[in-house]
Amino acid sequence: MFLHVDLDAFFASVEQLLDPDLAGRPVVVAGLGRRGVVCAASYEARPYGVHSALPTAIARRLCPHAVFLAPRFHLYEDHSRRVMAILDDVTPLVEQLSIDEAFLDVRGVRRLHGDATAVATAIRARVHDEVGLAASVGGATTKFLAKIASDLAKPDGQLVVAPGKELEVLHPLPVQRLWGVGPKTLARLERLGVQTVGDVARLPVESLVHAVGDAHGRHLHALAHNRDERVVVVERDTRSIGNEETFAHDLTDRAAVERELTRLADRVAQRLRAADVEARTITLKARYGDFTTLTRARTLGAATAVSTVISATARELLGSVDVARGLRLLGISGAQLVATAAEQQGTLNLGALTEETERDERRAAVERAVDAVRARFGSGALAPATLLDVEPRSSERS
Amino acid sequence: MKFRCERDTLAEALATAQRAVASRNGALPVLFDLRITAIADAIELVGSDLEITNRVTVPAAVEQTGVAVLPKILGDVVRKLEAGPVTVEVEGDEAKVSSGVFATTLRLKAVEEYPRILATDGAGAKVDAHLLAGALRQVVKAASKDEMRPPLTGVLVAARPGGTGIRLVATDSYRLALRDLDGVSMLEDGQKVLVAAKGLNEVQRLAGDGEITVVLGEREAVFRTDKAEVTVRLIEADFPNYEQLIPQGYPNRLVVPKEAFREAVERVTVVGQGRDNANVRLQMSTGGGLELSVSAADVGTSTGHLDAKYEGADLTIAFNPQFLLDGIDAVDASEIALETVDHLKPATLRPADGGDFLYLLMPVRTA
Repeated sequence: MFLHVDLDAFFASVEQLLDPDLAGRPVVVAGLGRRGVVCAASYEARPYGVHSALPTAIARRLCPHAVFLAPRFHLYEDHSRRVMAILDDVTPLVEQLSIDEAFLDVRGVRRLHGDATAVATAIRARVHDEVGLAASVGGATTKFLAKIASDLAKPDGQLVVAPGKELEVLHPLPVQRLWGVGPKTLARLERLGVQTVGDVARLPVESLVHAVGDAHGRHLHALAHNRDERVVVVERDTRSIGNEETFAHDLTDRAAVERELTRLADRVAQRLRAADVEARTITLKARYGDFTTLTRARTLGAATAVSTVISATARELLGSVDVARGLRLLGISGAQLVATAAEQQGTLNLGALTEETERDERRAAVERAVDAVRARFGSGALAPATLLDVEPRSSERS
Repeated sequence: MKFRCERDTLAEALATAQRAVASRNGALPVLFDLRITAIADAIELVGSDLEITNRVTVPAAVEQTGVAVLPKILGDVVRKLEAGPVTVEVEGDEAKVSSGVFATTLRLKAVEEYPRILATDGAGAKVDAHLLAGALRQVVKAASKDEMRPPLTGVLVAARPGGTGIRLVATDSYRLALRDLDGVSMLEDGQKVLVAAKGLNEVQRLAGDGEITVVLGEREAVFRTDKAEVTVRLIEADFPNYEQLIPQGYPNRLVVPKEAFREAVERVTVVGQGRDNANVRLQMSTGGGLELSVSAADVGTSTGHLDAKYEGADLTIAFNPQFLLDGIDAVDASEIALETVDHLKPATLRPADGGDFLYLLMPVRTA
């Protein structure tokens, strides 16, 4: 189940939030120069025909009594971050599309937060209570339909399309709702007598291909049947789980560096497991004493949350780092996060053929047990043996 | 070359030969074709991807003997013709396929490019066709389709110690199927070979009544049934040491009627069709019988109950539903024993009254 979260009239809503005098009045955030265009229009301004991308001059004619404001992006970014932080609390599987919208994969959070409807309600309540903004949320079994649903739910509403009911919702909609149907495609489709998404669905794919081209035709055909294979892609840079550590004295000893990597890998793995995700890509960050920083990354064959796999990968990546030059900072992060499969098919012990799978499985089991011990007795209760004779570092941050 | 043959006979023979024709990109082009040889009063059709070769001989009215290599669409051409006699005649660089008022010409391929198919003389061992096909049905499904792990794509055929019969074993590392066949002697003492599972599927399919003759060569095994002859490449790899996997004893034992068990599993599994992680949970308790459940995220949950005899500690164990169903299907008995150690160790399905088959299945680890 995917959720699409969209902040209503975002820039205008932030301005209304910050200046109570603006509440309830038409507010237009726009480029105010001669060739400026509208960035956002509050719902009070929309009945006058004001919408984003409209030239500001025309907007002024349509709604002369609106308050026109120049955009203040730093404020919007700040509010956006606070909303995204709420979404990150729900699941790490968040794909931020722009400053005011994001997809969430909520399939794995049912036990924690309830079904999609409950999650949608909770998100809207928290965004309203903690940030003061209205969000509309759409939910469906595909990203495509979730986005349409949030649009249908606007303003300040939610619509979760139950599995099995997708086509009932989708087919009566005008064909322009399909991604990729602009004026040109629309004209071609209208020639085929197509008005609704349902009309598209009923056309043989060959006719669509003939009318609008091969790739485009197949794409529209798939969407009209609510076929959209895309998954939530967690942004590589902004959506990762990592730890880094700055040392009081630059490290020059490879053994000491490797010990630090073990420690960092252990923490990263623990945090991945706590978030019920596994990482496909492991990144090593190293900063020399002169602040030159380098990062090295490797994508694994299978996603992992096992510390020994992460530390082994980090050690391999360390091969290209000149440790003797002195390291003031080390960091490990896991990116390309995927939800942990809750249930895993066991493997028979077939010697060399299954050795690797089994070793990783055993380690994963051990580390889950370690998590349980730490949860009860504190994070210092268990540690990798290589770290036992080393004082804990103090200047850690993540 | 010129011959005449009944459409149905020819179409069936072509379909059989065609199944062995290469389907993968990158194969030698000629392996996408069929070779036809017309001899005195029969024709022989051969399809091969070098791993598996199917050779079928059917009676035909041969006017002129000869050999031709033709594209495999010949099969489709023949199938679409009207019922009745079909004539195939080579004229120049084409073959003409005709029936009544319909005719198709097909360009001939170079006969000399077609791989030499080894002659398979040798007496070989004779095995009851039903017996061998039944054993293959039980075992072959457990073999892996993962070509990255060649040893697991084969079925181990091994002489049983003491020279009484053979043992068939296959595993894909998630489950393992083992069948002993008494009184079958096709191997020398201590001999074992690894035969490509894909080829054994063909053997099972083409097994008719009577006997199958098995000839073991250096690199291939030949299975001659009354319908066709299947040559299967032997896999040159060591099969993993499986004996240590089979637990010597089980603390827990459930006995259920096979059909009821299968139906119950199928019934609760529907809700999870096409979903990952929609595993079937079996909850067993003394006096309580068997509770089955499947829960599929975003879809729903199914539960069911089955009266069953159970001895052992209360246990909940989860399995991949398809693997479990394959196991139930493979057990040839009206009552099945499901033996377990705990929720993580391999479980065994076998006939409740013992017998010569077992299906070892790794559970799904649940949170």
